[in-house]
Amino acid sequence: MTALAASVTAAPMPAAHANPELRQSRAAWAMTAPALALMLTILVAPVLLAFGLSFTDYSLGNPSFNWVGFDNYERIFTRSTYAKMLWATFVYVITVVPLSLGLGLGAALLIQSVGRGAAFYKAVYFLPVMATLLAMTIVWQLMLHPSIGVVNRTLEAICAQPALHGLLTLQAFGASPQATWLGRVCTEGLPVWLGDRDYALGIVCFIGIWQGFGFNMVLYLAGLTGVPRDLYAAAELDGARSAWERFRLVTWPALGPTTVFVVTITCIRAFQSFDTVEVLFSPGGGPGKSAYVMMFAIYEKGISQNLVGIGAAITVLFLVFVMILTLIQRRITERKVHYA
Amino acid sequence: MTRASQFRLSELLKHAVLLLGALVVLAPFAVMISTSLKSPGEIERGTGGFFGAQAPMVNERCAMANAPRRDDLDAARAADPGLTDARLMEALTAEVREACTTSPIAFNYGSAFSEAPLLRYLLNGVIVTGSIFLLQMIVALPAAYALSKLRFWGRDAVFGMVLFCLLIPVHAIALPIYLGLAKMGLTNTYAALVIPWVISAFGIFLMRQFFMTVPDDLVDAARMDGMSELAIVWRVMLPTAIPALLAFAIFSVVAHWNDYFWPRIVVTGDRSLFTPPLGLREFQAGSDGNLYGPMMATATVIVVPLLVAFLLAQRRFIDGITLSGMK
Repeated sequence: MTALAASVTAAPMPAAHANPELRQSRAAWAMTAPALALMLTILVAPVLLAFGLSFTDYSLGNPSFNWVGFDNYERIFTRSTYAKMLWATFVYVITVVPLSLGLGLGAALLIQSVGRGAAFYKAVYFLPVMATLLAMTIVWQLMLHPSIGVVNRTLEAICAQPALHGLLTLQAFGASPQATWLGRVCTEGLPVWLGDRDYALGIVCFIGIWQGFGFNMVLYLAGLTGVPRDLYAAAELDGARSAWERFRLVTWPALGPTTVFVVTITCIRAFQSFDTVEVLFSPGGGPGKSAYVMMFAIYEKGISQNLVGIGAAITVLFLVFVMILTLIQRRITERKVHYA
Repeated sequence: MTRASQFRLSELLKHAVLLLGALVVLAPFAVMISTSLKSPGEIERGTGGFFGAQAPMVNERCAMANAPRRDDLDAARAADPGLTDARLMEALTAEVREACTTSPIAFNYGSAFSEAPLLRYLLNGVIVTGSIFLLQMIVALPAAYALSKLRFWGRDAVFGMVLFCLLIPVHAIALPIYLGLAKMGLTNTYAALVIPWVISAFGIFLMRQFFMTVPDDLVDAARMDGMSELAIVWRVMLPTAIPALLAFAIFSVVAHWNDYFWPRIVVTGDRSLFTPPLGLREFQAGSDGNLYGPMMATATVIVVPLLVAFLLAQRRFIDGITLSGMK
């Protein structure tokens, strides 16, 4: 503290201020006060409020409420609606995170290794990240329209081409029409996509991956520039001849910090997915509630149906997931980030 | 196989994979733009190629609204008494249909702006994203400056608070924030659209990290000139931080232009407050499925400005959007 005071007083200060340290301290508090007040009211207070409300049967417009203990949480873990919600969220996260990480990494590795066109591919793959997800979901909905959508039109065209169709369904090699997905689609009729509970959640996942992998690609491209070149030469001397060996021994470990970050941010984004489900499956969350993800449940229960207690309990659960994820990331990063 | 031809082959294979990926990524954009150019008939039948045939078409809604009425018929009868009523009616209808004939492009984009107040939605989008960014800066810059350049009791605690708030995704706590705003009677106002985003822990964190790299001498010199601490923030620190600020602006504007979840919650029914995604969603929900052309035209109008800006300044946009990766 004395060294600090000395450094402050060493600089000549306007004479009007007898105590520059006090002056600085006052200015600092005046400058941080708005931010601090807003953090407390907009971020911290709602977290506490959600926690408190999750033990009540409050609804907006009611003058009073009752404390209901753990009823809301019990409901979440016993009722089938919420079991579906947790399952849909789990499937979504467990599908979207690895696939958009894998595709992002794959795209980054390919783009980094091609001679020409790298800038083009990078720009193209990043486009969905910039585009309004709501608008693009509506476009996907049109594309998946059972009769006028481009997807089923394409399938129809393939089915009508005996040669191509035979090749793709392996029927040319003696397989039965039932053996492949395409074979079944061509014989038994085209899928109705969004109306089919077997496809509903898959489509939501697909749009999530389509939209997000370019973001991971950019992070991995940045990470790849940080891999020391001489490590590859060293690995080759040590006998890592194949590209796969070099990737396994050098690239992948060097990308460790990037991967930890990518996994965390993709997880948090995946947990927050809402737009796609709201457009495609509102109200209800899809055929058989198969795409009833958490953010959509918070919206539908807590806000549309005014069941604030349940909505708050889901919010708390959500926050717990996100906090755990972030804390795990921070732990791993602190331990690992320095080894590269 | 020689080494060179092996190299050529693997290069070719890589491009094949990357092009296939590009095809899937670009397909929705192509469908969106192509559909926005076609006539309803072409969309229905899947004909017309990418641009549509652009054959003149009758705007049925316009024809319906201007269909000849009783007094039109009377006037026509007076002007041309030799014809039967049926013939007159036919001629009048043909006239109206003639007047209502347009090209598919004009029909789609015209309906996008006339069926719903799309201009208003776009304006709201600009107002909301602009105010959010401006207020974020007004709150974050002084705080970031204090946390990086001023020494005061409690600084570590305040910074710890910023780090803690970085953990809280605002979308996740939308329900309690919404309840608070509803209690204050603020739903369906611009304030409700802006308030939750005014505080950006990430913005404070980012600008603090940036200000740490600004030499102390610059600040000391400004103090010697008699500048107040607040004046130092706006007149000394802000100009040095333009690149970081630009990156953050892109991050903030893109996120809030595209945001649908929050506006959906706090704006219910009041169309004059709709942001572009809300407007498009209402258009989609309200149409009976025959208006794909105008719907895709609306989508194009909402999506394309950001995409064009991105293609013009790719580096800056990628830096801005992936800012959260630089933590």
